[in-house]
Amino acid sequence: MSEYIVEMRRITKRFPGIVANDDVSIGIRRGEVYALLGENGAGKSTLMSMLFGMYEPDAGEILIDGEKVVFHSSNDAAARNIGMVHQHFKLVDNYTIAENIVLGIEPMTRKFGIFPCVDIKKANEEIAELSKRYGLEVNPLDRIEDVPVSVRQRVEILKMLYRKAEIMIFDEPTAVLTPQEIDFLLGIIDGLRRDGKTIILITHKMEEIKRIADRCAILRHGRLIDVRNVADTSIQEMANMMVGRQVNMSQAKDEPVFRDEVLKVEHMTVKNEHHFDVVSDVSFSVRGGEIFAIAGVSGNGQTEIADAIAGLIKIAEGRIVLSGREITALPVRERAEAGISYIPEDRQGTGVVMDFTLRDNLALREYYKEPFSGKGILHFEAFEKYADELISKYDIRSAEESKTIMRSMSGGNQQKAIVGREIEEHAKLIIFVQPTRGLDIGAIENIHRHILAERERGAAILLISLELDEIMALADTIGVIYSGQLLKIAPASSLTSHDVGRYMMGVKEA
Amino acid sequence: MTKVFTDGLSFALPLLIMAVGAIYSEKSGVTNLAIEGFQGFGAFIGALIAVLLMPVMGNGSQAVIYIAMAGAALGGGVYACLHALLCINFKANQVISGVVINILSVALTAFFTSSANTAISGTSSNKLILGVSTRFSVPGLSDIPYAGGLFKNMYPFEIIIIALVLFFSYLMYKTRFGMMLRACGENPQAVDAAGGDVEKTRWIAVIISGALSGIGGICFAYSLLANFSPSIYLGYGYLAIAAMIFGNWNIGTTAIVCLIFGFAKSGGYQLCIAMGLPSNYSDLFLMLPYVLTMLLLIFFSKKNHPPKAAGEAWDKGKR
Repeated sequence: MSEYIVEMRRITKRFPGIVANDDVSIGIRRGEVYALLGENGAGKSTLMSMLFGMYEPDAGEILIDGEKVVFHSSNDAAARNIGMVHQHFKLVDNYTIAENIVLGIEPMTRKFGIFPCVDIKKANEEIAELSKRYGLEVNPLDRIEDVPVSVRQRVEILKMLYRKAEIMIFDEPTAVLTPQEIDFLLGIIDGLRRDGKTIILITHKMEEIKRIADRCAILRHGRLIDVRNVADTSIQEMANMMVGRQVNMSQAKDEPVFRDEVLKVEHMTVKNEHHFDVVSDVSFSVRGGEIFAIAGVSGNGQTEIADAIAGLIKIAEGRIVLSGREITALPVRERAEAGISYIPEDRQGTGVVMDFTLRDNLALREYYKEPFSGKGILHFEAFEKYADELISKYDIRSAEESKTIMRSMSGGNQQKAIVGREIEEHAKLIIFVQPTRGLDIGAIENIHRHILAERERGAAILLISLELDEIMALADTIGVIYSGQLLKIAPASSLTSHDVGRYMMGVKEA
Repeated sequence: MTKVFTDGLSFALPLLIMAVGAIYSEKSGVTNLAIEGFQGFGAFIGALIAVLLMPVMGNGSQAVIYIAMAGAALGGGVYACLHALLCINFKANQVISGVVINILSVALTAFFTSSANTAISGTSSNKLILGVSTRFSVPGLSDIPYAGGLFKNMYPFEIIIIALVLFFSYLMYKTRFGMMLRACGENPQAVDAAGGDVEKTRWIAVIISGALSGIGGICFAYSLLANFSPSIYLGYGYLAIAAMIFGNWNIGTTAIVCLIFGFAKSGGYQLCIAMGLPSNYSDLFLMLPYVLTMLLLIFFSKKNHPPKAAGEAWDKGKR
């Protein structure tokens, strides 16, 4: 038997205009947890997609148990007992948990001895049994659309187990989970390892690797940088190898200097189109020089709070006051001019116009004013000058500078453009919603630096994020939202991430 | 009153088989507005076969009807390949493909009909004259007051349609293929990850859709018109789509909706006669199913859950 259960030798994969994997060789031992660490676009997902048969490598070979294999589809990989939990779950929403797990390999029975039928009763029993055996509690009869993300992930794991996978690939499995759920998942992974399974963990979170992985391969720009024993490598070392330079793991944050109250929200209630309270009776205030962060599991009303303050949606009850002036009834532009900047969650839908140039997008907040226009005529020289200024100030990288079409830019640079445009307004209140979602560590560092600089300047900052690490790193005050209500508002220094995680699950007393 | 039931049922069942066809296509994730074209083309092929066979098998032969139904299923199925090819392989916009296929069907069948007539009889008529289908009554059941009308003067094809609907419900809801098919219309990625073949499943679904529509078409040709002519394009394909939508893409509820449509149509006609109105008013009453369609649309369209992935071409590379 070969030393390695999986061996990928000299793998190269090119996509138009980019080399996703460049001569990468890795070997994974039976029964270990092997982590793949890298920034977005480093090629870790591509590498694993090839192991799972979704792409074929342009060069190089894959060996399973020492035997050379060629996978043309994920079926071929599944036949060699390889399973994968994708970052975006591949589940049918209106099917039950059991139906999802058995899809394609359903247990069958014959009705009246002739007609082959799916034996859904047997499937339910099998899934209930399997879920008990591995401690992955699910109710096989629940529909996917009715269960939370963490349960959906369990379903994906059960799917692999039901298909008798021995090699399990997890693609960024903790991105959508709360700290408690992460603990639970890492426990499950540990259990699978003890059961003899081989686990491959794709992630960019060093803490998880430290907690669970045996070895760790670091990828950068498609190349394998190093393979380390996790026990002998510090988090700082991993981060440096991943990014390729010395990284500041946590930004130096000065003691807060609070100024006057800037934003006051009183008893705000927001209803959705079904007249259901998505935000109910929320009150809080943010002072100048303060970062007020709202933590919560996705979909608990945090986006609606931001949209309501920015004026994108109407509120049903309550008052919004900005520096002593009531803005509850003002339209969006008047609120913006009163001193609100907004970095929205859906940056491509709400933040920019994707088919406009970078130059035009940067001027979106100012185009109707002097010097950008006069007497209804646009002055494009002013646009040009302003764009060049912001591009160098905020390090926005693109192929054709100010003439680049937004759509062709990377997510990180799109976000830098939005952040730059909004910060340049020097607003009293800046709302950041998920400012670093999907960005890599270098871009995150950049955006966090800007957020802290604005706090220093004295702006009031409302930060809404699903990343608890981000909230713990930046916030002065934390409000935890659950089911539309702010369950807890407290100084950040008085809370641990586990306290916040518990409130996020709706537990009132931590 | 019994006539309302008799005529209603003979209208509702061909409508239902077309709607089941539409459900198959849409549940697999291919939006299908082409039912009208499928049924017309299928009916044409069926009618052509019937016209060719009648001199051989004798004018009164009922066997011709069954062969014509098989031919219509084949014709509809083959014609549906065009929709499958455009939507699945070339990833064309599925709504536009459906509309184009309907228009093309009208033109093609008109042309082929007159060509066929010229070849067979030397006249360039736009009609293919079909024989008359015999009818039968179920002994016993047809004597029940009022509801007995359901079992009176039935066309043999009604029984075939009921059997087909039962079979295709079983295939959709009870088998492995059906589970895959429905999953394709909700989340094709899940099917791919589970080792299913999305494109193949959709191809089969669209062909089934064409075949069932063709059967619906030839049944209308026999029961309503007794010939094949451009008047086969009466919009019943669209009515079948409407029935599917009110039926929430479920075969059982769609069957009920088709019955309501059928009884509204025959009831309206009988009402017109009973009120002693001149015959030109009957057209007014024939609007009933459509007025009903519009009213139902207002109330039901909000609560419906169409297949999530319907209308989207599936791209394996996209994640």
